[in-house]
Amino acid sequence: MKELSLNILDIAENSVRAGAKLTSIAINEDDEVIKVTISDDGCGMTEEVLRNVTDPFCTTRTTRKVGLGIPLLKLAAEQTGGEVTIVSRHESEYPDTHGTTTSATFFKNHIDMTPLGDINATVVTLIQCNPHIDFLFTHQFGGKTVSLDTRELREVLGDVPLNTLEVIMWIKENLNEQYNGE
Amino acid sequence: MTVKELCEKMELSVLTLPDGDREIRGAYCCDLLSWVMGRAKADDVWITIMSNSNIVAVASLADTACILLAEGVELDDNVKAVAEAKGINVLTSEKTAYELASQLSSFLK
Repeated sequence: MKELSLNILDIAENSVRAGAKLTSIAINEDDEVIKVTISDDGCGMTEEVLRNVTDPFCTTRTTRKVGLGIPLLKLAAEQTGGEVTIVSRHESEYPDTHGTTTSATFFKNHIDMTPLGDINATVVTLIQCNPHIDFLFTHQFGGKTVSLDTRELREVLGDVPLNTLEVIMWIKENLNEQYNGE
Repeated sequence: MTVKELCEKMELSVLTLPDGDREIRGAYCCDLLSWVMGRAKADDVWITIMSNSNIVAVASLADTACILLAEGVELDDNVKAVAEAKGINVLTSEKTAYELASQLSSFLK
């Protein structure tokens, strides 16, 4: 992927497919490292699936035999000297605390670091395509925190769906303001 | 031209050749795997310097005729085993991607 935000979109879509009600995307940046953590309360993975998850020939998709979401994230992280770790609890063993957390660290000064890209577009796309589930997005960098919690929006909006055009436009503008404001 | 014939004409080293009779119809040159997934065409020779196991998955997905590794890149044994098992031809050469592509263009008329 030319942008990390597309890798993040890909991983968050896995959470959606796993039936998550809430998916959190947290990006923590300091001068050297970007840590991206995507965690969900979806069905989780069994130990066997988890063991094979970085193998591109292991996929939950039935439309094709190859899945490259995690393998490409791993490649992007490892080519900067970073790594990917995945912790998952399957619903069969953890009926109340199931879910998956995928963390990737990137050394951002490495020459092969993929730029983060348009993360706002990733967040907006996720909300627009999955208005029935919740997303919590936080991005900490340079002493600043950008955040968006669809649960808070839902409280204000009542029955208005999150993928209503006006709501989506508001989310876009709100994120832009948070990034560009003081 | 088949992959096997290409090896002979261009003096390429064979890493795996489970499907040597595969016909070649074009070529594609890129190292960004997600890019290759959407753009390489079926029956292309895919020239790259990437050598992790994801290239086998990408070649399988894009249905390329073979992977051609440039600049003397080799495969780890485990990647070689996966390529063999998935029927993916992998060749290697000391030449650069540019040299390989320009040489290849004279065969792909």
